[in-house]
Amino acid sequence: MAAILFYILSAVALGATLICVTRRNPVHAVIYLVHAFFALAMIFYLFGAPLVAAWEVIIYAGAIMVLFMFIIMMLELAPDQTTEGPGWKRWLPVLLLSGTLVVCTLLLMFADAETASGVPRYYASPRTFGYALFKEYALAVEIVSFQLLFAAVGAFYVGRREKRKPRRAP
Amino acid sequence: MDNLMQIAMQNVNYGSIMPSLVLCIFGMALLLINVFLPRGKTTPASWIALIGLVVTAVFAARGWGDPQFGFAGHVALDKFASFSNIIFLFSAGLTILMSDEYLQREGYPIGEYYPLILFATAGAMWMASGTDMMTIFLGLEVLSISLYILAGMFRGQLRSNEAGLKYFLLGAFSTGFLVYGIALIYGVSGTTNVADIGMYLKSHPAMLGNPMTIAGMLLISVGFLFKIGAAPFHMWAPDVYQGAPTPITAFMSAGPKAAALVAFVRILILGLDGLQGDWTSLLWVLAVLTMTVGNIIAINQTNIKRMLAYSSISHAGYALVGLVAANQIGVSGILFYMLAYTFMNLGAFAVLVLAGKKGEENLTLEGFAGFGFKRPFLGVAMSIFLISLMGIPTTAGFAGKFYIFAGAIKAGYIWLAVLGVLNSAVSLYYYLRVMVYMYFKEPAEDYGWVTLHAGAVISIIISVVGVFYLGLIPGKVMEMARMALFF
Repeated sequence: MAAILFYILSAVALGATLICVTRRNPVHAVIYLVHAFFALAMIFYLFGAPLVAAWEVIIYAGAIMVLFMFIIMMLELAPDQTTEGPGWKRWLPVLLLSGTLVVCTLLLMFADAETASGVPRYYASPRTFGYALFKEYALAVEIVSFQLLFAAVGAFYVGRREKRKPRRAP
Repeated sequence: MDNLMQIAMQNVNYGSIMPSLVLCIFGMALLLINVFLPRGKTTPASWIALIGLVVTAVFAARGWGDPQFGFAGHVALDKFASFSNIIFLFSAGLTILMSDEYLQREGYPIGEYYPLILFATAGAMWMASGTDMMTIFLGLEVLSISLYILAGMFRGQLRSNEAGLKYFLLGAFSTGFLVYGIALIYGVSGTTNVADIGMYLKSHPAMLGNPMTIAGMLLISVGFLFKIGAAPFHMWAPDVYQGAPTPITAFMSAGPKAAALVAFVRILILGLDGLQGDWTSLLWVLAVLTMTVGNIIAINQTNIKRMLAYSSISHAGYALVGLVAANQIGVSGILFYMLAYTFMNLGAFAVLVLAGKKGEENLTLEGFAGFGFKRPFLGVAMSIFLISLMGIPTTAGFAGKFYIFAGAIKAGYIWLAVLGVLNSAVSLYYYLRVMVYMYFKEPAEDYGWVTLHAGAVISIIISVVGVFYLGLIPGKVMEMARMALFF
């Protein structure tokens, strides 16, 4: 059962990504990408990493994609709607994908843990995850924090508005 | 609480990351100090950055006889890392020395410039001392992100913007390959530790033929070869090198390239040792391709900065020859060659920094007509660096190439060495042409705008000394490079 679910979810993730990169309309592309992230989250859950699954949904599908949407709307990138054919054709793939996802999710949620396991299962609780992160990969965490600091410095520099007359900041 | 103490205090050994830690501290302090410096004055910042590099050098050198390991085997300050760290420090130091006047001239006296160089150097150090895929990958990211910003530093110049954006997009793309490869290798071996991967593959020889292992090895190679700038992943190099600020181009051609090479060496020889047959045959072809493509396109260039960019591609090809050999002489030859290349290439770029006008439209072959007689010091220095880049005896370039090709011959790759020497002969043409323009053409102008700024002159002098020291008495440094090997 888990193997079947895995293949279905992989197909959804691949299909959604494929449709995502071929869309002309950036808003549609983002919607498909969200589907791909949901499918990935389910795969993580299937492998016994519920925390990573939750983060996949919260951070990628939630925060980052909302940011994407926000920027797309701000830049007014969306082309006019008439280019993508009649209504039902536009809705069909997204309905299929999200329908499959919902069914898979329900199956995962309500299936017995015994029957759901088909892959060699290692359950990574948030506690195990935290231990691994701060014990094994402590240096990696520190490097990432340094990196974020300097990426922020760079982003600030690149995005800074040029003043006409250079003045000392107050 | 007990648990907390237990996990927080385990495996921490600051000695193993001391050099990069010092650089990060200096980088962050500089960010703060910049706030208090008057706008447009970056000279004090450059001196503080140089002091930071010297302090780091002390810590890096201290690890020479006293290897430090720490953070659950994620990082090792062994001799290999120490030697590489010295290469990075030289490239960062020479870059900072030539930068200050250049930034003033181009009208971008930016406070973020020096901290970013320090931080890029710290990233390179993490790559060299990383014994875990995660550390190496994160070091690479730290290095790359700093370089993306530095390449696009001149916001008002279209070329610089192009360089930054191009490097960013292609770099992010290639990083994807690298991570994919690491993930596949992790999937095979169940560990990200380089030495453990090697051990696993040794005890499970059946996994060597597994398509997942091969694919992982190939994807990791793609990621690193991109950073090294090897053909066919070299497309970004010329545009980025031409568009980026000249000192940054110099830095990119030496430090980061060396970092990617040494990390690549560690992964291939320590981790993917079992696949040596596969990656040597791959790198054999790519080394020849890289040398040839770089040299042949360089012949056609009229812009000297762009010419040096293509020549840097071909030099990456020579370094890969040492990796194909994968023996003591070859790999220590890579270390030696990267040090030699740092001196000769950064020296050449320092001359370009001084010779350029604002906007650098004059850095063409015609722009150098008669330069040697009008500006004798710079002319002679440039000639020395070009001769070294060609690989003429008594210079560092010759000694480096000699060791690398000797390693290849000893490992039985005679044809590879022959092709390498033939390629060096091709490169004579475009290096000599610059000298022909400098000495055998009528000067079109008197180069009155060229002023000898202290910083750039010091970096030229250090480079000249380095080129001759490594060229005339290479034995000592070569011996150290051989001691630095971990196999």
